[in-house]
Amino acid sequence: MLRGCSWETELSKALRAGHWPQGCDPELRSHVETCRSCGDLALVTQAFQQARSQSISNVALAHPGLLWWRAQLRRQREVAGRIVRPVAIAQIFAWAVSVLVAIGFLLSQYRSGLRWVTWSELDVSRTIQAWAHAAGAMQWGFLLTIPVFGILVLLGWVALSLWRERD
Amino acid sequence: MHKRRLHTNGEYAIPNVESCGASRTEALPMDNDAFAGFYQRSAPGLWAYLTRVSGNRALAEDLMQESYLRFLCAARPEGGEVNERRYLFRIASNLLHDHWRRQPRAASIDDVPEQFLAVLPGLGQIESQATLAPAFARLRPRDRQLLWLAHAEEYSHREIAQITGLGAASIRLLLFRARRKIARLLREQLVDRRRRP
Repeated sequence: MLRGCSWETELSKALRAGHWPQGCDPELRSHVETCRSCGDLALVTQAFQQARSQSISNVALAHPGLLWWRAQLRRQREVAGRIVRPVAIAQIFAWAVSVLVAIGFLLSQYRSGLRWVTWSELDVSRTIQAWAHAAGAMQWGFLLTIPVFGILVLLGWVALSLWRERD
Repeated sequence: MHKRRLHTNGEYAIPNVESCGASRTEALPMDNDAFAGFYQRSAPGLWAYLTRVSGNRALAEDLMQESYLRFLCAARPEGGEVNERRYLFRIASNLLHDHWRRQPRAASIDDVPEQFLAVLPGLGQIESQATLAPAFARLRPRDRQLLWLAHAEEYSHREIAQITGLGAASIRLLLFRARRKIARLLREQLVDRRRRP
């Protein structure tokens, strides 16, 4: 199916050089009239060469300097993006940990009967007593949760600020 | 059947085509003056390729700008301007491919701008009277791409394989079929035109 014609290479050269049809061997011209493959090649190549010339003559190009500066800006954005990426990852991590801590806190309070609901009714002295009682009962895990949660929220906020600043 | 093949090493390697991610240096790999020269020499051919193959002038403008931006941001290919130009065509071809993938409907004759359908004046020969655009619009996008690269840009089969990401062995067959099809369409078009009063 794909047996190439032996004249194809010569015809291609003539077409590329612009010698077809007047500037080439009469034998090649007579061959092309009878060979379908070479006829297709000549027809298609000439049509494409003319289409290309026509398109190129109508071209309206943008200024190269503008493209160059746009590329420069894009490159700088890429570099900035690479710098901020670790911060963004830290932000996601901080938020994930915060959410987990919050869920853990709520679950622990739910199991102990939602005692935090009554916190609003406590006066200062009773609150201190409650803390002291908690400390006395060695509930260090609960006491540590609060500052850790606060630090994570702070980190999340810093990361969010940096992210917004980049945009 | 013919899967797109990415060459990741050797002389076919074209780095960072998909992103602007050359990370070694922050400066662009080509300075402003060098780029201006390269642009003047390469842009008309790329413009012709994108307008004719896409059949959409506005799309071609967008893709051309994006092609140059990606070209500038990526690492500069070795081997001089011939390779740089081929690399540019590869970026443009990838962008065209992405566009077609997002919009799988093939371009119809209605999508071709009217100016492309005009008969060229002063062309006496039978071959020249057949304008390309109506027949071209009836081909599949990939066939248009292959035919343009082979017959308008005069790239070899191996170079076309590098630009399109298709297997080098399949280019010859695909091109043969596409050429036969467009030749038939051009001849039919010519016969129709002769029949008209």
